[in-house]
Amino acid sequence: MKFDTERRWELIDKISRETVNYGADKTTLKTILAELTVKPLTGIPFAVAVLYGFWAFFNAFAGFFTDGFFVPFFDNLWLPWLQDIFPLEGSWLYYVLVGDPGATNSFEAFGILTSGMFVAIGIVLPAIVAFYLFITILEDSGYMPRLAVLVDTILHKIGLHGFAVVPMILSLGCNVPGVASTRTLETKKQRFMMMILLSIFIPCGAQLGVMLSLIPEYFGYIMLYLLVGFFLFGYLLDRIIPGKSPEIMTDVPPFRLPTAANVTRKLWVKVKGFFTNAIPFVLLGVGVVNLLYLGGVIDWLSSVLEPVFTGWFGIPKETVAPLIAGFLRKDLAVAQLSAIDMTGFQLITSVVIISIYFPCIATFSMIIKEGRRSGGILKVLGGSLLTLSTVVFLWGGLLHLIGMVLGVR
Amino acid sequence: MTILLMGHPNVGKSAVFNRLTGANITESNYPGTTVDFTESYTFIGGKEAKIIDVPGTFSTEPKDEAEKVAMEILKEHEDAIVVAVLDATKVERGLYLALEIMEKNYPVVIALNMWDDAVKQNISIDVDRLEEILGVPVVPTVAISGEGISNLANKITEASRIDAEKLEKRIENLQNEI
Amino acid sequence: MTKTSTRKLPELEYGEEGLIKKIERDLRNQLVARGIREGKKIRMDTKQPINGPVVVTIGRSTTSLGLNLANKIVVEVTHDDSSDGSS
Repeated sequence: MKFDTERRWELIDKISRETVNYGADKTTLKTILAELTVKPLTGIPFAVAVLYGFWAFFNAFAGFFTDGFFVPFFDNLWLPWLQDIFPLEGSWLYYVLVGDPGATNSFEAFGILTSGMFVAIGIVLPAIVAFYLFITILEDSGYMPRLAVLVDTILHKIGLHGFAVVPMILSLGCNVPGVASTRTLETKKQRFMMMILLSIFIPCGAQLGVMLSLIPEYFGYIMLYLLVGFFLFGYLLDRIIPGKSPEIMTDVPPFRLPTAANVTRKLWVKVKGFFTNAIPFVLLGVGVVNLLYLGGVIDWLSSVLEPVFTGWFGIPKETVAPLIAGFLRKDLAVAQLSAIDMTGFQLITSVVIISIYFPCIATFSMIIKEGRRSGGILKVLGGSLLTLSTVVFLWGGLLHLIGMVLGVR
Repeated sequence: MTILLMGHPNVGKSAVFNRLTGANITESNYPGTTVDFTESYTFIGGKEAKIIDVPGTFSTEPKDEAEKVAMEILKEHEDAIVVAVLDATKVERGLYLALEIMEKNYPVVIALNMWDDAVKQNISIDVDRLEEILGVPVVPTVAISGEGISNLANKITEASRIDAEKLEKRIENLQNEI
Repeated sequence: MTKTSTRKLPELEYGEEGLIKKIERDLRNQLVARGIREGKKIRMDTKQPINGPVVVTIGRSTTSLGLNLANKIVVEVTHDDSSDGSS
């Protein structure tokens, strides 16, 4: 036997009257904070402060470990030691594993064991730890839904709703869980839009870490251009893609003090995931690019693609190699770009193109996997490839045009 | 034996799951964290049991993807015992889902999770009376610290199906007593 | 003396309370399992600017609803006649 909704509630009200007694709700620091953080007048400044705190923490934490510990370790100990003990100098194996025998720092050597290890552990690992530590605390405290309510107004203008901020923020760590979390959005349209937008325009924590460490002076420009792209193409996709954009309907849970046990457990799961899923890809990426160099494939591709790269995007043909590495890891690709000799504006353009030209393999496979739930694999695949190529050519080319108009090189 | 952990988003289901199985599933204080379901094995009453952490759902009538997944899991496991995890500070709406599941004739145990929060908010719940009225075991828990979990594990074997008509009568009789 | 008036949910002032009088049918089905239903006391916590969502509290749970959803909820407000006669 089943009750109808009305009847079910009637019964529950009766049970509740008999068994539950609500005393006066106490006003505590938590309840006051809970109110202040969701009211626009106080909540928006609070959100800005949180984001700034996030940024400052990320910078300080990653900088401390990368510059203070890993750079000296890799440059002064690891690299000289490897160059010293590794046999077969001049062979292809030496080139792939150690790289340039005359290199004086781990970054420019370009071997799997030198640059690969340095990028993965020296730069990206501290960034990942800093990111997830902060995010876990934000998640566990119950702040996320409040942020979602505050940003709903803006995101609803491009057909998403406030809760889309969760996939966006998760993507700043890694696009893969970002794509997976789009499942919490209600409609196929919203899920597809979010998957595409975040995999194109939101750089992952690893890439952020590399950008901050190697090209901090251009970081702001790159992020601004990506952010504008996010909203502009979001607006366009919202107009083009048929489907509904329902409004937000979410619980706003009370604040809770995160427990150290849960925070460390989560952090450990993420860091472990990084060691097993990400590091092998970085090392593989360096290896693949080195082998393609040795086989002459990169030189060939560079000359084939040169008209597009120099003509349309205004960047040197040497950026082809990082672009290939970018299929595997964006962080590695940006690191390789920063070692290429080009102007500041070209560097900004090429980093933007690395970010938007194609999601990394891990993210792309997640999109295909999630495609099942968001309109069918073929539709999602076709839609995303179409959007991707449009965005790369328009948004990448536009940046070149802006450079020409402004006269910067 | 299959045990399904069901409840609203953000009531600490994953924490209950971790405590029951000793697994390392992470939970977050916002709705919809568990989009994929997680399963693990443990021993309940000396027998091996499969425990599934079902994505959060408000009702057995799904409104989004996570809720659809939850309903598919419920339908696939017709012989499962359901542990309905409720937020002790929001008993009524938790009971709505629990009743829906009970009406579908699943044996149910109710965990009143976040009991500590209820105490802090001056909410008192007569657990014995609730148990008596509903006819299923009701256990207060604080999953994040582990309180009440062993009690919950013991009560799982006592989960029982209810007869909705008798339940309705019991509830109506309450009115007469007052 | 008290008098009552009915208003759409978003027309409540900050902190004002009312009883849910009516929820449009399509929305009612979505909200009912969350415990948002006719006859319950509802309090307006905040309204976000530029047609943003509202945040309301029912019982001990706080929920955020988009403005168009909130507009489908009619609330009956009882107020003290002596203190404030206008609406």
